[in-house]
Amino acid sequence: MILNRENAVIELKDQTIKEYGGIEFQEIAFAQKINLRGNSNNKSFMTLQGKLLDAVLPTKSNTYTNNGKIKILWLGPNEWLIVDEDKKNNELFLKLEKSDSHEESAITDVSENRTIIRIRGKKIFNLLAKFLVIDLDKNLSNDSSVVQTLFVKVPIILVRNNSNVVEIDLYVNRSHANYVYNLLVDGTKNLDF
Amino acid sequence: MFLINCPYCGEREQSEFSCGGEAHISRPKNPPDTSDDQWADYLFMRKNIKGVQFERWNHSSGCRQWFNVVRNTSTDEILGIYNMGEAIPEIDGENPKTPSGEPEIGSGNISTSFKKK
Ligand SMILES: [Zn+2]
Repeated sequence: MILNRENAVIELKDQTIKEYGGIEFQEIAFAQKINLRGNSNNKSFMTLQGKLLDAVLPTKSNTYTNNGKIKILWLGPNEWLIVDEDKKNNELFLKLEKSDSHEESAITDVSENRTIIRIRGKKIFNLLAKFLVIDLDKNLSNDSSVVQTLFVKVPIILVRNNSNVVEIDLYVNRSHANYVYNLLVDGTKNLDF
Repeated sequence: MFLINCPYCGEREQSEFSCGGEAHISRPKNPPDTSDDQWADYLFMRKNIKGVQFERWNHSSGCRQWFNVVRNTSTDEILGIYNMGEAIPEIDGENPKTPSGEPEIGSGNISTSFKKK
């Protein structure tokens, strides 16, 4: 059990929302995250997990599904990340662990691995383009897009939350969170180019 | 820098990938029956072709999947991408000739290139 948990980004303590250059930053700390492994071609695995989670495991690359409570991100053809933002404890993990899971699957609680930096604003793509080489218009085109890539050599996951006002969740390991955050804040200068 | 078309994620920057060396090297079926030379050959000896080379690549900062790439090592042109376990595709074209007459296999420097007995 972990006591006295601290969020990762120093400037975003206690769910503070900071705004720089028209872009809002917020940390979604302590969200429950579970890594799920299994074979997507195995029907019984897919149905069982779907029932347990009350959601569909995405099989299309670089997408996620959202049932209103949890998000399931595609990480690979046999790997998913289950994210529950509301759960600040490991309830979901315990539920999955107790259930008769499929024999050829594995779950790992990775909640403490990454934190989520939520960024919102019109010029997000201009900001991210300063650090990323991926084609943002193509890879983050709609509200079911997920991208795993590198942010100045730090592995990150980008999740687009909605299609109108652009809101993107940036998943980054806790130890790199301040580094990524500081770079992003610095990047909010001169966004009109 | 060049782009690699990951069979799962699509076109991504080379920096997201790691090269796993020469493809299609199979472990000897019966290790106790292999000589030291054969075993060393399997473990360490790799071609270093100046030209078309078959390689394994991993999308390490993306989907973490392995796949095969046919790459021209002198131009970084990617001539083919296919999944693990798939048959070697036929690739057209010739390895480029080098003006100094370097060997096709080796570091490009004759004095240091490896010669097998
Ligand atoms: Zn990939």
